[in-house]
Amino acid sequence: MQQANRLRPFFENITFDRADNELILNFGPQHPSAHGQLRLMLHLQQEQITKAYPDIGYLHRGMEKMAENMIYNEFMPTTDRMDYIASSSNNYGFALAVEKLIGLEVPRRAKVIRMMLLETNRLMSHLFWLATTALDIGAMTVFLFAFREREYLMDLIEDYCGARLTHAAVRIGGVPLDLPDNFIADLRKFLDKLPENIKDYEDLLDTNRIWLMRMENVGVISKEMAQSWGCSGVMLRASGVEWDIRKEEPYELYDEVDFNVPVSDKGDNYARYKLYMAEMRESAKILYQVLDMYEGTGPELMAHAPQYISAPKIDIMTQNYSLMQHFVLVTQGMRPPVGEVYVATESPKGELGYYINSQGGAYPYRLKLRAPSFWHTGILSDLLPGHYIPDVVSIIGTTNIVFGEVDR
Amino acid sequence: MRAYTPKDDVQKKPYYTDRYWVAPQVAKSDVSEDAVFAADFEAIKAKFDVLDAYIQVGQMVIVINAADNFGVIELMKNELAYNQLSELSAIDWLAQEGKFEIFYQMLSMSKRKRVRVKCKISEKESIQSVEKLFRSADWSEREMYDMFGVVVNNHPFMKRILMPDDWEGFPLRKTYPLQGDEFAQWYEVDKLFGKEAREIIGPEIRDSARVDRYDTERFARLGHEVPRGADISQGEPDTPLCYQENEGVFMIEKFDAEKSVVISDRDR
Amino acid sequence: MAQHQVNYLKDGGLPVALTTIDKVVNWGRSNSIWALTYGLACCGIEMMASGASRYDFDRFGTIFRASPRQAELMVVAGTLTKKHAEFIRRLYDQMTEPKWVISMGSCANTGGMFNTYATVQGVDRVIPVDLYLPGCAPRPETLQYAVLLLQQKIRRESASRAQKPKRLM
Repeated sequence: MQQANRLRPFFENITFDRADNELILNFGPQHPSAHGQLRLMLHLQQEQITKAYPDIGYLHRGMEKMAENMIYNEFMPTTDRMDYIASSSNNYGFALAVEKLIGLEVPRRAKVIRMMLLETNRLMSHLFWLATTALDIGAMTVFLFAFREREYLMDLIEDYCGARLTHAAVRIGGVPLDLPDNFIADLRKFLDKLPENIKDYEDLLDTNRIWLMRMENVGVISKEMAQSWGCSGVMLRASGVEWDIRKEEPYELYDEVDFNVPVSDKGDNYARYKLYMAEMRESAKILYQVLDMYEGTGPELMAHAPQYISAPKIDIMTQNYSLMQHFVLVTQGMRPPVGEVYVATESPKGELGYYINSQGGAYPYRLKLRAPSFWHTGILSDLLPGHYIPDVVSIIGTTNIVFGEVDR
Repeated sequence: MRAYTPKDDVQKKPYYTDRYWVAPQVAKSDVSEDAVFAADFEAIKAKFDVLDAYIQVGQMVIVINAADNFGVIELMKNELAYNQLSELSAIDWLAQEGKFEIFYQMLSMSKRKRVRVKCKISEKESIQSVEKLFRSADWSEREMYDMFGVVVNNHPFMKRILMPDDWEGFPLRKTYPLQGDEFAQWYEVDKLFGKEAREIIGPEIRDSARVDRYDTERFARLGHEVPRGADISQGEPDTPLCYQENEGVFMIEKFDAEKSVVISDRDR
Repeated sequence: MAQHQVNYLKDGGLPVALTTIDKVVNWGRSNSIWALTYGLACCGIEMMASGASRYDFDRFGTIFRASPRQAELMVVAGTLTKKHAEFIRRLYDQMTEPKWVISMGSCANTGGMFNTYATVQGVDRVIPVDLYLPGCAPRPETLQYAVLLLQQKIRRESASRAQKPKRLM
């Protein structure tokens, strides 16, 4: 049924046969080290890249459009599929934006649980980053090691919310569930072992000649370039800008915990690798402190705001008014006040922002997802020229882009 | 008679709204309440027309004329230390007032402040690119063009970014349905197999609530697998889950559940 | 006098096994399914996880290959968008016969939760599919079970005869 002449993608219209000795290389969209569906059109002078055009949109699923057609709670599971390596941080960013819009204060236990989710997700994301980047560069052992630890973290998350990848573990106004039995003990057990594991990875990589050659002084991003491209997270901190939203604009309980923000001024791949490793240690440090906080919190998990948030399950089952209110909130949705809000959180990849324009309806009028990876992909067009082909893989690796987030 | 549905906004609407319901407002406070914002506001006001300014949820919102956008952003970058353009996009107000609202979300790392600069342009107008000031605007403006059809002047590479180059329509406009127009719905079929294959492949099944218990053309239930297209309205036989065929597999030892070991204590 | 009956088909008889060509070929095929690394979205992460330490796909002989020329199984792991549709068809055509397709996750099956303008409502609109995995995202165990089912399917098919062309829809 398929006709040969039908299948003519756009790049076939490009003239590959050129007089000026320049080669055009098509990289992706299905490439094992493209971290998803990145397509790069690379102009090459021998092995050196002269121009790079990243082409994205191969995973554009229309999330912003979906948000305009969904009630606020309905959109929560969709946010999971943005940065699917660390789903809870997306859930949290959205929940926080809506909470800021309607002016809610979340109970302390919910805050503690959210902190745990956020930091375990950060660990998961960084471990995954390490695994895939090491695999791309050829260090298969690190891939297997890091996935082993990640599976343990996924077990923990699964104990909490039942899902491995797409958690939907945060609700607007709190969290749906209390911690399961043994969660704290298990997490503590994992954290006790984590420094050893991180040391294993570093022992394998830090003095590895291949790793150093592929990482050091490759993909150097200057401070000006990083700021101009709107970089955030590790991409920005590796270029010498000390900016961590957890520290500068603290949300949740980040102002109560003690942690450092690792910064480097080298700006190359190796600096970014070191920062990821340092951030894993900091996350562990935060988690230890948050685990201690859990004990002293009250039993409430959801904020009390009958206009916006359903009552606890026990009330819905026993009290008529709570049931009616729950019914209205589920079928028609909450209606936040008229106004707009932009809330930025520090996701594992960088600044994850939600811009919500509410016109007082049950559906957001406009919801813009500010995903950090979008700009981290854009910077490739300025970063790659001058590098050689093998560097492309290591640079894409250390930018830590996730295509669910880039294309939304 | 069919109920009238507005054609200029085809997005989902709540099916019921209490007629006495008045939407509350998110509190806006005056710019003078925050010293940093007040100083920034004065600096911008001295050079450009400011149509409106207020503080909402801890961030200053400044509404300016669309013609001043480059000047205001340049001033904010060079003199007021707003060193990142974290977000830039548009909002479709075509149905209400025939305009797009464009917002620039600015961040000052030294002051730890965020400001949103907004302006409105009509559908046929275009806006000046700020790509010269912030490289991040390069991709944001392309995305804005892709999603809304807002043309940006002086942009180095004004092409679609998320949708394919031959896409028709601007998806985030309110007139564009969530599930796409006819072009979108047949896009991959037309492109790969040609329009004449539409009848063979058939329309997309877009009804997300559709559950056909007896459909064996597309799916079979796990443990109840039947041949494709079989009629199962009278019930289907159970197919026990098995990892290998009953008679065993050539040269492969059969899995024996009795002899296998379950590791319950994972070494955490 | 003891009567020895040698069972030629059992181990410990003569070092010879008698079988049909079909069986041998299918045995080889079913135990060396090389899959294309085709992680499109979230399910791709679970596909990686099933290839990594805990779930260890290699023990079924399933190895991920980056080139469609070396692969015979395409695991469509994730959302297929309209922009990507032409590439999935192209990759499918590049794979050598015999080839099989597993559609992993709701998005690949039907478009799933992404009932939008940009998403292909099921990869079976573009390429023929052998197995559909439910879930969003399916667990690695699900993918492993799917590969085992696919092995059974391969063993049932006749290896010597040319494969029947698969129908789209």
